[in-house]
Amino acid sequence: MTESVSPVPPTPATPEPEERRSRTQGLGPWILLGPPGLWLLLLLVLPVLVIFELSLVPGIRPGDLVNPSGLDNYVEILKPIYLRVILRTVGFAGASTAICLLLGFPVAYWIALMSPRRWRNALVVAFVLPLWTSSLLRSYAWITILRPTGVLNSFLATFGIPQLDLLNQNAAVLIGMSYSFLPYMVLILYSSLEKLDRRLLEAASDLGATPVQAFWQVTVPQSIQGIAAGSLLVFISSLGDFINPELLGGASSMTASRLIYNQFLGATQNWGFGSSLSMVIILAVSAAIALLIRYGDATPKT
Amino acid sequence: MSQTAVSTQRPSKTDTAYDVELRKVFKVYNGETAVRGVDLQIRSGEFFSILGPSGCGKTTTLRLVAGFETPSAGEVLVRGQSMLTVPPYQRPVNTVFQSYALFGHMTIWDNVAFSLKLKGKTKAELQDRVREALELVKMTSFAHRYPAQLSGGQQQRVALARALVNRPAVLLLDEPLGALDLKLRKEMQVELTSLQQELGMTFVMVTHDQEEALSMSDRIAVMNEGRVEQIGSPSEIYERPRTPFVADFIGETNLFRGRLTQHDRDGLTVVTDAGLQLAVKSQEPWAGGGGGGGDVVVSVRPEKVHVSLYKPEVAANCFEGDLRNIMYLGTHVHYVVELRSGDRVTVMQVNTGGERPKLHVPVYVHWSPVDCLALAA
Amino acid sequence: MPRNPYSRRLFLQQSVAAASGLALSGCGWRLADVRPVAPSGDSNKLYLYTWAGYTDRALLQRFTQETGIEVVADVFDSNEVMLAKLQSGGGGVYSIIYPSDYMVRRMRDLGLLVPLDHDRLDGLDRLFEPYQNPAYDPENQYSIPISWGTTGLVYNQARLGSDPVDWDYLWDNRSRLARRLTMLNDPRETMGAALRRLGYSYNATDPEEIRRAYEALRELRPAIASFTTDAWRDRMVAGDLFAAMSYSADAVGVEEENPDLRYAIPRSGTSLWTDTMAIPITAPNPDGAYAWLNFLLKPDVAASVTETLAFATPNRVAYEQLPPDLAENPSLFPSEEILAKCESISPVGEATAFYNRYWTLLTSA
Repeated sequence: MTESVSPVPPTPATPEPEERRSRTQGLGPWILLGPPGLWLLLLLVLPVLVIFELSLVPGIRPGDLVNPSGLDNYVEILKPIYLRVILRTVGFAGASTAICLLLGFPVAYWIALMSPRRWRNALVVAFVLPLWTSSLLRSYAWITILRPTGVLNSFLATFGIPQLDLLNQNAAVLIGMSYSFLPYMVLILYSSLEKLDRRLLEAASDLGATPVQAFWQVTVPQSIQGIAAGSLLVFISSLGDFINPELLGGASSMTASRLIYNQFLGATQNWGFGSSLSMVIILAVSAAIALLIRYGDATPKT
Repeated sequence: MSQTAVSTQRPSKTDTAYDVELRKVFKVYNGETAVRGVDLQIRSGEFFSILGPSGCGKTTTLRLVAGFETPSAGEVLVRGQSMLTVPPYQRPVNTVFQSYALFGHMTIWDNVAFSLKLKGKTKAELQDRVREALELVKMTSFAHRYPAQLSGGQQQRVALARALVNRPAVLLLDEPLGALDLKLRKEMQVELTSLQQELGMTFVMVTHDQEEALSMSDRIAVMNEGRVEQIGSPSEIYERPRTPFVADFIGETNLFRGRLTQHDRDGLTVVTDAGLQLAVKSQEPWAGGGGGGGDVVVSVRPEKVHVSLYKPEVAANCFEGDLRNIMYLGTHVHYVVELRSGDRVTVMQVNTGGERPKLHVPVYVHWSPVDCLALAA
Repeated sequence: MPRNPYSRRLFLQQSVAAASGLALSGCGWRLADVRPVAPSGDSNKLYLYTWAGYTDRALLQRFTQETGIEVVADVFDSNEVMLAKLQSGGGGVYSIIYPSDYMVRRMRDLGLLVPLDHDRLDGLDRLFEPYQNPAYDPENQYSIPISWGTTGLVYNQARLGSDPVDWDYLWDNRSRLARRLTMLNDPRETMGAALRRLGYSYNATDPEEIRRAYEALRELRPAIASFTTDAWRDRMVAGDLFAAMSYSADAVGVEEENPDLRYAIPRSGTSLWTDTMAIPITAPNPDGAYAWLNFLLKPDVAASVTETLAFATPNRVAYEQLPPDLAENPSLFPSEEILAKCESISPVGEATAFYNRYWTLLTSA
C-alpha cells in the first residue's frame, strides 16, 4: 500500500457498487432466459395464440376477415360425429400405447437386466434402428406384409393356416402405430430399467417375494416414471399420427389429425374449426404433460 | 423393548444341532473359482462371522446361504434341510444387505411390512409385528417417512427391522456396518450383539473388519482365496492361529520364515532364512512332521516381545538391533526394531512410565519360547 | 431444387407480404391475405408448381434450349395443398401453377390469378372448341387447359369375372367386392359418383339428393377398403384389389403391369376434369410464364407430351398429329357419346357444407 491512511472517514456513498451488483444480479436470470424465452415466444406462444384467435372465428377460410366472435367452433366439436372421431383417435392412441407397453417392457427388461452387458448398446441401437427410416416407408412395408396376397398370408399359407385379412382394418392401424412407436417405448423403458438397483430384486426375493411378486411390487414401481414417460410419449405421438390411419386404415378410419388436415389442406377448408380442434388437442396434451411433471416424481428414491 | 417381541419360532426340539451347514461347497464364475470346498457348521443361536480380505469368497458364501447363488458343487443345508432346490424366497433366512437395499418407493412402514404382506398375515398381526420390529430398532417415529429421508444409520436399522420382522431361522448380515462412520459403527456393534442375545437368533455376519468380528462373534471362520483357513472362537483365532495367513490377518504379529532343525521334548528349534535361531515351546503339540527339514513360520505377537537397553539374562530368543521407530499410543508404546539379521520386529509394550529407549540406539529384544507359535508353512 | 442468391431477396419479399397479411387492420386481420408482388428481375429462371408426371427432363430441356430460360418444376399432389402453399406465402417463387378447373374458379374469386393478356399468347385458337370457352373460366381469361380426363374404374377382369359397365355394378356386386374396392379420397368425386348412380348431377345442391348419395355410399361401405386417390396401384397389380375408382390419367398403362386389369368409364357418365396452367399474382417472372404457356400451346410440343406422359390434350392440332393407337385409346379419349354424359365438377356454394358433413360421417362412422 503506497498511500497513507486517509484522515477522512469513508463516505456513505460506498454502497453504490453493491447496489449496482445487486441490480445486475437481478438481471442475470433474465439475460440467461432471454434467448430460449424469445425462441419459445416466437415459435411456440405466438403460433398457439394465432391458432387460438382463428379458433374463435366460425367457418373462416383463407382470405376472410379474422373477426373473433365466439366459441361456435368449440361447440361444433361436441357434435356426435366429431366426438366419435376424437373417441376413435383416443382409442387408437390408448390401444397402441398399451400394446407398446406390453411388448416394449419385456424387451427393455431383457436388454437392461438379462442380456450380456457388452451387447446392451448394440441391442438398443438395433431396436432404435427402424427410426432411421421414413415412417412413410415403414407404413408401406406393412401394406406389403398385411395385404391379402402379402408376405404374412404367403407365410401362413405355407403352414396351411387360414388367411388373415388385416389391411384396411383397425387392427392394421394398431399394428402400424405400435410398430412406429415401439422403439421410443423401448428406449425410455430401457433407460429407466437400466438404473434399477438389482439388489432391490434380491431383497424382495429374500423377503419372500416370488419373481412375479417382485416384478409387480418392486420392478414396476421403481420404473414407474419410465413407464409413465414412455406411455405418454407414445400416446401423444399416436394421437397426432397421420400416416398409419391414412395408409393402413379402412374406409371409416378418420382420426382427429386427418380431420384437422381436411380443415386446412383438404376439401373442407374450415380453418376456424381446424384451429379449435387443434386447440383441444394442444390443451389435452399439455394437461397430460403437466400431470406427468407434477406427479411423476412424487416419491423420493433411494 | 420386549424380550419376546420378535423371537424365532424355532421347533421345540431339532434333530440337528446346526442351523446352517455347508458341505464341500464350490462356486465357479466364468472359470474363476470363488469358493473352494467350504465346510461350515453354524450352531443354533450363535453369532457367527465370516472374516477375510476382499475377494476371499466370504460374500459369495453368504449369498449361497441366502440362495442368490447356487453352488457349483457341494450342499447347503438350513436346519438340516437341503437348500439346493429351494429358491431364495422360500428359504427360512433373511438378509441385511450391505447397501440396505430399502425400497425407495415405499415408506419405512411398508418396507418392514413387505414380507408379512406377502405371507398374507391378518391386518392386526401385521400391525403388531411391524410396530414391534420398529420398536426393536427404535425407528417407530420414522414409520411414515421414505428411505431417502433417513440417515445411513437409520436406514441400517430399518433394514434390520425388515429382515427381523419375518422371524427367520437365520439372519444373514452382509457387511452390515461397513457404510457407517466409526462412532456409529461402535454403537451398532453393541446393539447388534445385544439384539442377537436377546432374540437368541442365529446371526451369520460377513465382515472384513477383524476387530468387529473378534468383538461381536461367538465363532469366526477366517476365509482366504475361497477356502476356510480356520474356524474357532475369537480367542482361539487370535491366540492359536493355525495358519500363517490367520496369524498375519488377525491382529498384528511378527512372522519369521525358516526351517525346523530340531524337534524334541523341550520344543522346537527353528533357524530362519536370515540365520536367527529361534526356540519355540508351544502349548499346542507340534502337528508338523518330526525331525528336521520342514518349512516353518514362527509367529510372535508384538505384546509378547520385550525391549531393553541392556542385554537380558536369557539365552533363548534374544537379539540385538537398532530402534527404528517409536510410536507413543498412550497406554502403550509401539516400537520397530531392526535386528542385525535385517528382520524387523514390532513390539508393543505397556506404558509403565519408566525409562524409554531413544531412537537409533542399540537395543535388545527378547521373548519367551512359550509365547512363540510354530506353524507349518 | 437449385437455389440462387437471388431467392433470398425473394424470400424476404414474400415474408413481408405474409407478415402484412397477418397485420391487424381495423377490427381484425385478413387470414392468409396474398398481395401481388412487382415482377422482380431474373427472367432467366422459371419455377413451375405442377402435378407429378406433368413434366419430364426432356420437356424442360427443350424449353431451355428454345428460350434460354432455366426451368425448375416442383410438384404438389392436391389442388388444396397448392392453394394452401400460395396462401401461406410459401409459393412466391412460382410463376406458373397448374390448378384444376374448379380451383381456377376459386383462385380467381380469391384474386390469386393474373388475367392473361391474349395478345401475348399464340395458338389459343388451336384448342378444341369447348376448351376455348370452358365453363370454369369463360374465354380462358385466367387459365389455359393443358390436359383433361375422366374418372372411371380400374378393375381386375379375372377376379371379377365380368366387366363393370356402369356405377350400378359396384352396388350390385358389393358382397363379392367386400373390402376389395377403393374409391377416390375426394368428397366431390366419390359423392358425385353416387349422385350420378342415383341419376342426379355431379354438382347437386339439393340437400336431400346429397343425403341420398351419402346413404348409397353407406350401403356400399362394406365393399370399400379405403378412400385413396392413387395408393391403389400396387395392390391392383398384385391382385389384392378387384376394382379401384381412378382418374383416367392414373389408369394409363395398368394393363401392361397386369394383363387382367382394365379401365372402364361408367356408361351413365362420370366427372370430366381439366387441368390448366395459370399465372399467380405473386409470379416473379411473368415473361418467363408467357414463354412457357406459348411453348406448351405449340402443337408438336403438346403432341409429344401426350405421347410421352400419356395425358389427353385439349389441343386439336396436336390431337390430329397423334399416332392412331393413342388417338383411338378409349380411356384417354372416350367416345363423344360418353363425353356427352360427363360433367365437370364446379363449385356448389353453400352446399359444400353438406358434402363435407356427409363425407366426414362416411369416413368416420
